[in-house]
Amino acid sequence: MTKRFGPVAALDKVDIALYPGEIHAVLGENGAGKSTLVGILSGNLTPDDGDLSLGERKLSFRSARDARKFGVDIVQQHFMLVPAFTVAENLALFALGDSSRVVEHAREIADRLGWNLDLRARAADLSVGALQRVEIVKALMSDGRILLLDEPTATLTPNETEDLFRVMRRLREEGKAIVLITHKLQEALSVGDRVTVLRRGKVVVSMPAQGVSPGQLAVWMVGDTPPELNKPLRSAGSTVVNVAGLSIFGERGETVVDNVSFSLSAGEIVGFGGVSGNGQVELAEALAGVRGSIADDVAYIPEDRQRDGLALPMSISDNLLASARNRKEVSFVGVLVPFKVRSWCERVVAKFGIKTDSIDAPASSLSGGNQQKVVVARALDSEPEIIVAVNPTRGLDIVAENYVHSQLLEAKRRGAAIALFSTDLEELALLADRTFIMSGGRLLQGDNAAELMGGLE
Amino acid sequence: MLLPFGLVLILALTILIFGLPFGQSLQLLFEGALGDKFGIHRTILKCAPLIMVALGTIVAWRAGMFNIGGEGQLIFGVCVGGWIAAAAGGLPAGVQTPVILIACGLGGALYAGIAGWLHAVRGVNVVISTILLNFVALHLLSYLVRGPLQTSAGTIPQSEPVDKAVRFSILDPQTALHFGVLLVPVFAVIVWFLLKHTTGGLKLRLVGANPNAARASRIGVTRVQVIALMLSGALCGLAGGIEYLGSSGILFDDFSPGWGFLGIPVALLAGLHPLWAVVSGLYFGALFAGSKNLEAFGATGSALVYAMQGAAVLAFVAISRFAVRQTEEAKS
Repeated sequence: MTKRFGPVAALDKVDIALYPGEIHAVLGENGAGKSTLVGILSGNLTPDDGDLSLGERKLSFRSARDARKFGVDIVQQHFMLVPAFTVAENLALFALGDSSRVVEHAREIADRLGWNLDLRARAADLSVGALQRVEIVKALMSDGRILLLDEPTATLTPNETEDLFRVMRRLREEGKAIVLITHKLQEALSVGDRVTVLRRGKVVVSMPAQGVSPGQLAVWMVGDTPPELNKPLRSAGSTVVNVAGLSIFGERGETVVDNVSFSLSAGEIVGFGGVSGNGQVELAEALAGVRGSIADDVAYIPEDRQRDGLALPMSISDNLLASARNRKEVSFVGVLVPFKVRSWCERVVAKFGIKTDSIDAPASSLSGGNQQKVVVARALDSEPEIIVAVNPTRGLDIVAENYVHSQLLEAKRRGAAIALFSTDLEELALLADRTFIMSGGRLLQGDNAAELMGGLE
Repeated sequence: MLLPFGLVLILALTILIFGLPFGQSLQLLFEGALGDKFGIHRTILKCAPLIMVALGTIVAWRAGMFNIGGEGQLIFGVCVGGWIAAAAGGLPAGVQTPVILIACGLGGALYAGIAGWLHAVRGVNVVISTILLNFVALHLLSYLVRGPLQTSAGTIPQSEPVDKAVRFSILDPQTALHFGVLLVPVFAVIVWFLLKHTTGGLKLRLVGANPNAARASRIGVTRVQVIALMLSGALCGLAGGIEYLGSSGILFDDFSPGWGFLGIPVALLAGLHPLWAVVSGLYFGALFAGSKNLEAFGATGSALVYAMQGAAVLAFVAISRFAVRQTEEAKS
């Protein structure tokens, strides 16, 4: 199957085979194409090319409903439950056709899996693990052939994860074809019978899980192991930021950053690597002052330019001004002086090579790479003391990527303290003076990249 | 380009659906709104509060705060203004006028501030809080004109009129066109300048367009939202103040015929642009002024305008969504 979004192929001629009675783990980094694959299998996306078939029979899903009718059930990464409804009401809401037997049916399934499900509890009152059990029961009620689990363990405790795996093995014995989407190596190896690794929309490898080593999987996921992970500290000055024993808790009280300590010095780049979702974004936001201010002179390059970086309907100049609004080059006692704004913006656009006809065009008119340049440009142009960057080169072509790298190194030479969060170990090896790997919210330091990839404890 | 044509088309369709004689209706509407000095002045008087409320709506909505409480803020504003007018009788007239006007604005701002505070502290949805506060303000006015602010003269539920010298000077005694309407374009330009050319306005627009991005640029999102809502309330309060000091200077139950609501479609039709709000306000002001003539056909006159206003805004919103999608598709 092939699926394109604009010029980007999210999936590029991907072949995947599911067998009854088998757990098929699909591994990949963010942006590898996992979500697109889930979208196609669940009928939410239609492939541009390629086809789905069951044996000899060709399938075409025109909607999620089609896929469900055929027997593809999904447990989504984000719970699809109405918080104010009881468990029974949520199940009835989802039931195809007859909803009168819902309670009975749900109880049967729960019993079979060895769960005690309180059908009268309100979804809002349940723990994450219990919500997930509801989602699984919900998926099993239509009794399909294929069960898709999209990152099911993201918010589970280790015990809940173990229980989920027990149930998955149980369902495998019942003859279901199970797809486990994950970016955790250990999970893929502990329940998977077969692993498929996606990278940049392509299948890197698809083979039985037996005998595959975690290190090998990590290499398949992120590309070649970088030559050198830890670099000696170079020419670092005085300490600019000192973090001691920082913990951050998520919305449900789970620990996302766990007792982290480190320092940032002027003139150094400290790298934070690891599989995404291990606390990097939360730590970056804390450093950048997005979650309550810590310092005045921090420039932040957020991870997701469209969600957190840009106001897409607003003009390129407004977006550039967002963090430069109070600088003398553009404003005077709160008034943005039009001719100053224009000359400043045009200088920045030229300096950072942002390709656009006009600085008054909306940011949405730019290509992804140029949108990223806007975010990088406004962060670096002010020559900040502290820079926090999360995947600053995501989606950029080689030339633009090199440019961003040279800008970061230039900032370092100037004496900036830089925290560089990146899932690309090669990028960290290239730029960082020292690199921490984040895993489960903690900082690890070591030299075997493969061993340090997320999920391995 | 299509907008004026579309508006006329919708107007024509509405007239047909209402079953009124087509040519005659259009002619009467036109004459009532722009036919002579009386019509033109009536149009200007009608559009003034609509434009002011539209400006208030724009300030809040641009910040993503969907203020539906213009009516309540307008009424609470004039309540405060009326109270100050009653208390400040001793001051010279030239001082009283601005003081009362400012009191109206502050009243509106404070009243919107309640919704802002609930939003900031408790996360209460602004649409709901502002709608509900409308009713509180209406009943507060109703109480005041029967109690503390009631005229000493009689039993009618209305306030003591503001002294003639304190009210805006009349530009034309025949039509009661007053000096206060000149404030409206001034405020439109001020709002435009604030939004477009100040760092505060930039922050406000960023917060409205993408609060996450605003946060990443270290903007205090909640603070900006509350300030935007209070500015919005101030403009709605001033809408009431200009009307209060421009007309008879009397407060009564139905002081506002719903300006606080009618201003919202004016803002939408202007694409939330403060200068276009003047044009859009003039258009609707003209329709309301003209609809007086249609009452010859029964009570359908202003009903026709309300129906047409709703239809026009729906069409406008739908078409602009469509236009956005077209450009997005063209791009990909």
